[in-house]
Amino acid sequence: MASLPGYLIVSTLLFGIGAFGFLARRNAILMLISIELMLNSVNLSLVAFNAYIPGAQNAGAVFALIVMAVAAAEATVGLALVIAIIRTRQTPEVDEYHDLRE
Amino acid sequence: MELLIALIPALPLVGFVYTILAGPFLDRFPGGHGHGGHGGHDHDPHEGAHGAVGEAAGAHGTVDDSRFHTVPSEEEQRATSPHAGHADDLANSEGADGVIPAQFADGRGQAGHAGHGAAAPHHRSWVVPTLLIGVAWVMSMVVFVNVIFGGHTYHVTLYEWIAAGSFHVTISFLVDQLTAMLLLVVSTVGFLVHVYSIGYMDGDRGMWRFFAYLNLFMLSMLLLILGDNYLMLYVGWEAVGLCSYALIGFWYKKPSAAGAAKKAFIVNRVGDLGFSLGVMMIWTTFGTLSFSDVFAKVAPATGPVLLAGGPSELTVTIIALLLFAGAVGKSAQFPLHVWLPDAMEGPTPVSALIHAATMVNAGVYMVARSNPIFAHAPIAMFVVASIGIFTAIFAALIALTQNDIKKVLAYSTVSQLAYMFTGLGVGAWAAAIFHLVSHGFFKGLLFMGSGSVIHGAAGEQDMRYMGGLRAKMRWTYITMVIGSLALAGIPIFAGFFSKDEILGETFSRGYAIFYLVGIVTAFLTAFYTFRMIYMTFHGSWRGLGTAWHHIHESAATMVVPLQILAVPTILIGLALGLPPEGGLIHSWLAPVFEKSEAAGIVAGSLASAGEGFSFIGIGGLLLLVGAGVGAAGIWLAHRWYVEDPDAPRRFVNAIPLGLGPGMYAASVNKYYVDDFYQLVFARGGVLLGNALWWFDAKVIDGAVNGAAWLAQRIGGGLRKVQTGRIENYGLGMAAGLVLVLIVYAVVIR
Amino acid sequence: MTLRNVIHSAVAMMICFGSLAGMYALLGAPIIAAAQVLIYLGAISVLILFAIMLTQAGDASLPAPFHRQAPIAVALAVIVVGLVSWAVVGTDWHVAATVATVDINAIGNLLFTTYALPFEIIGFLLLAAIIGAIFLARRPEEDERAN
Repeated sequence: MASLPGYLIVSTLLFGIGAFGFLARRNAILMLISIELMLNSVNLSLVAFNAYIPGAQNAGAVFALIVMAVAAAEATVGLALVIAIIRTRQTPEVDEYHDLRE
Repeated sequence: MELLIALIPALPLVGFVYTILAGPFLDRFPGGHGHGGHGGHDHDPHEGAHGAVGEAAGAHGTVDDSRFHTVPSEEEQRATSPHAGHADDLANSEGADGVIPAQFADGRGQAGHAGHGAAAPHHRSWVVPTLLIGVAWVMSMVVFVNVIFGGHTYHVTLYEWIAAGSFHVTISFLVDQLTAMLLLVVSTVGFLVHVYSIGYMDGDRGMWRFFAYLNLFMLSMLLLILGDNYLMLYVGWEAVGLCSYALIGFWYKKPSAAGAAKKAFIVNRVGDLGFSLGVMMIWTTFGTLSFSDVFAKVAPATGPVLLAGGPSELTVTIIALLLFAGAVGKSAQFPLHVWLPDAMEGPTPVSALIHAATMVNAGVYMVARSNPIFAHAPIAMFVVASIGIFTAIFAALIALTQNDIKKVLAYSTVSQLAYMFTGLGVGAWAAAIFHLVSHGFFKGLLFMGSGSVIHGAAGEQDMRYMGGLRAKMRWTYITMVIGSLALAGIPIFAGFFSKDEILGETFSRGYAIFYLVGIVTAFLTAFYTFRMIYMTFHGSWRGLGTAWHHIHESAATMVVPLQILAVPTILIGLALGLPPEGGLIHSWLAPVFEKSEAAGIVAGSLASAGEGFSFIGIGGLLLLVGAGVGAAGIWLAHRWYVEDPDAPRRFVNAIPLGLGPGMYAASVNKYYVDDFYQLVFARGGVLLGNALWWFDAKVIDGAVNGAAWLAQRIGGGLRKVQTGRIENYGLGMAAGLVLVLIVYAVVIR
Repeated sequence: MTLRNVIHSAVAMMICFGSLAGMYALLGAPIIAAAQVLIYLGAISVLILFAIMLTQAGDASLPAPFHRQAPIAVALAVIVVGLVSWAVVGTDWHVAATVATVDINAIGNLLFTTYALPFEIIGFLLLAAIIGAIFLARRPEEDERAN
C-alpha cells in the first residue's frame, strides 16, 4: 500500500499510540518518549504529503526538517527538566507531582 | 372684605404657633415647680427647652420631669378617684379627679377653685388662643352678614401654590352662602368651646397643648370650608383628621385614648383613600380642581343635563361615589362609623367641637359643595341617601342601650349626620344644611352639657350611677333639656324644623320607605335622648353616697357657653325654617343649590308634580306626624325611666320568640361591627403579615441563600478540577481536542 | 507501549525511529531519512537513554505502568484516530502519479532563501535549548551556596 492514505493512516495510528502513551503512562520519561512518537508521526505525514501531493515544492520536507529540529530542542529541555524533577522528588511517577494543587 | 376673609384663618394659625412655642412657659402647676420660676416669659429658653430633667438637677437638687405628665397614670387616677369601687366602669377616667394632682384632689378641686399649695398655680396659655378665636368669630360674623344679607360672593386668591405644567392650584378662598353658613357654625361653636375649655381643662398639665391643638383644628377647619378648590378642601380634610388624632389622644398616656386616636385616624384614612381617588379623578376628567371650573364643566349654565362633550355619567357617578367614600369616613357613616364612639375618649370640649359641630360636618359640607357633581349622578345620590337612612336607624338602635352619656351622644351624632346625608341624597340640599347648622348648635350644647355633668358628678360618666342631678345642677339641666327637645324634634325648637323638613322632602320627592325609616328613627331619637335626660337628672342619685355632697354646678366659664348656645337652639328653627321648604335658609342658599334642586326627585312623586309645601295637606300632616313621634318618644322614655323603671326589662323579655335578650345584647355590643373589623382586618392583617413574612423569609431569603449555597457547591465541585497533576491537565487538553475534532467533523464537514 | 521496563521502551522507540527512516527513504526523501537517523537515532535516543541512566529508573520494573485515567485515554485516542482516519479515507487527494523525490540541492536552496527565517529561528531555539538544558540539569551547588 504505497498510497497516500495508507501512509496517513499509519501516521494517525502512531499519533494515537503516542497520545495514549502520553495520557496513560505514569513515568515522566515514558511520557516524553510518547511525545517524540507523536512528533514523528507528524513528520511522517508531512513527508508523505510532500511525496504525493503535486506542486508541493519540497515544502513538506523542509517543514519536516524543522519539526525535527524543534523536537530535538524540546526533548533536550524536557529531559533536563525531568532529570531535575526526578532528582528532587526521588520518583519518576508523575502521580506524585501534585504540589500545584491547593 | 377680602382682607378680612384672608385674616380669618390666619388668626388661629398665629394662635397655634404662639401657644406651641410659648405654652409651656405660660402654665404653672403646683406640685414640684415651686422653685425654678417656670412662669412667664423671662424664663431662660434653654432650660425650658430641656425641661426640668437633668439640667435643673444641679440647681434645684431634684430631677423633675413631672411638668410633662399630662395626666397621671391609670393607677394614680384610680387611686384618687372617688369611684375606686367601680372605676373599671368608667369609659374614660376623665374628670377633674383624674387630672388634678393628688394633694389638691380634695373632692372640690374642680374648675375655679384655688389650690392650697404654697405656690399658686396659674395658667395663662388659654388667653391668646381664646382671644384670637374670639376676634376670628367677630370677623366671621361680619363676613356672614355681608355675604348672606348683602348677597356678595367673594373670591380671594392668596398665592399660586402649585404650578406644575398643566396642574395649577392656588391658595384661594371662596366665600359664598354655603361657606358663610358653615362659618357661622364653626366659628361660633369653636369660640364657645374655647371658652368652655378654660374651665374644663383647668388644672390639666397639658392645657397649653390642648389650646394649641384647638387652634390648629380651627385653622384646619377654616381652610376646609374656605378653600375654593378640591385640593385645599383635601388639605383641610387631612389636617382636621390630624388634629382629631391629636385631640382624641390628648391624654396620650392612657392606652384606650391612644388607641381611639389611632382608630379615628385609620378609619378616616380608609375613607380618605376614596376621597383622594375622587379628587384625582376629578383632575384627570376635568383638568382642574377649582370648584367653579369643575362645576362649569359638569353641566351647562342651565338645565340638569351633563355638558355635551364632557364626562360621561359613569365617570361622574364614580367621582361622586369616591367623594362620598371620604364623607363616609369623615362623617362617620356606616361602615366607617366605628371611630366616633371611641373618640369620646378625648376631653368633652373636643367631642363637642370636633365630633358634633365641625369636623364631622366636613363630609356633609363636601357633598353639598359638590352638588353639581352629585346632581348628575342619580345612582350616587341614591347610594348617599340609602347609606344615610340606614346609618340613621342603625346608630339609633345602638344608642338605645348605651350607658355612657357621651356614647349616647356620639351615636346620636352619627344618626343625625345620617339624616343630613339622607337629605343630601334625595336632593334636599338646603334642608340638609339647615339641619347641619341647627345640629351643630344643639349637639354642641348637649356635649358641653354632658361635660358639665361629668365634671359636676366628679368624673362619673355612666348614667346608671347618676340620677337626680337636676336639683344640684340647675342651669346644666335646663340647657340640656332644651338641647334634647331640639334633638327630639319638638316643635318650636331648632331640630323640629330642620329634621322634619328633611323628612318632608324625602316623602314628597318619592322616597316613601326612607320616610318611614326616618320616622321610626325620629321616634327612637326622642326616646333615647330623654332616656338620657331622665336617667341623668331625674330620680335619685345612684352613685356613691360620699360623692353626692361634692356635686355642684360647674363654673361660669362652662355654664355660660351652654346658656349662649341654648338661644340659637330655640330660635334658629323659627328664624330660618318658617315656612318649611320656603324659609329664609332656602332663599339664602338658593344661589348655591339652584341648579341641583331638581336632582333626586323620583318620577311620580309629589315634588315632581310641582307641589310645594302647604300647611293644609300632606306637608302639614307630615309635620304633625313628626311632632307626634317625638312626643311619643318622650312619653315612652318618661314612662320607662321615671315612672316604671322595671318596664324596659319586662319589655325585653316580652319580645316574641325570646329574641329580646339577644337583641339587647346586639345593641349593647354595637351590632358587633367592631368585633367584625377586629377579626377580619386586624387579625386578618396580622395573618397576612405573617404569611408575607413567611414568604419573605423562606422563599425570597431562601432563594438568596440558595443562590449562595449553589455557588458554594459549584465552587467546591469545580475546585476538584485543579488536581495539580499534569496528566490530568493533559487529559483535559486531549478531551478539548477531541471535542473540536468532533465539532469539526459533524458540523462543518 | 506496554512494556514494563523503561529501557525496553526506549529501545522499542529506537526501532520505531529506524523504521520511520526507512519509510522516508521509500517516500523519495533520503535526506530526511538521513536526518531522522542522525537526529533521532543518534541524538535523541541517546539523550533519553542518558536521562534514564541518570535518574536510575533503569531496568527496575514499573509497578503499575498505567495511570488511573488510562481507559479515558484509550477512548480519546480511539476517537481521534477514528475521526482522522475517516477524514483521510473519505478525502479525494488528487494524488500525483509518481512519488516526487527530494533533491538535496533544492532543500539547501529553500533553507537559505524561502525558509531562511525559520532556519535562523531554529538556530536560536537550539541555542536556547542547549543553555536551558545545561542550566536545568546541573547538580545543585551546595558548597558554593553554603559559603
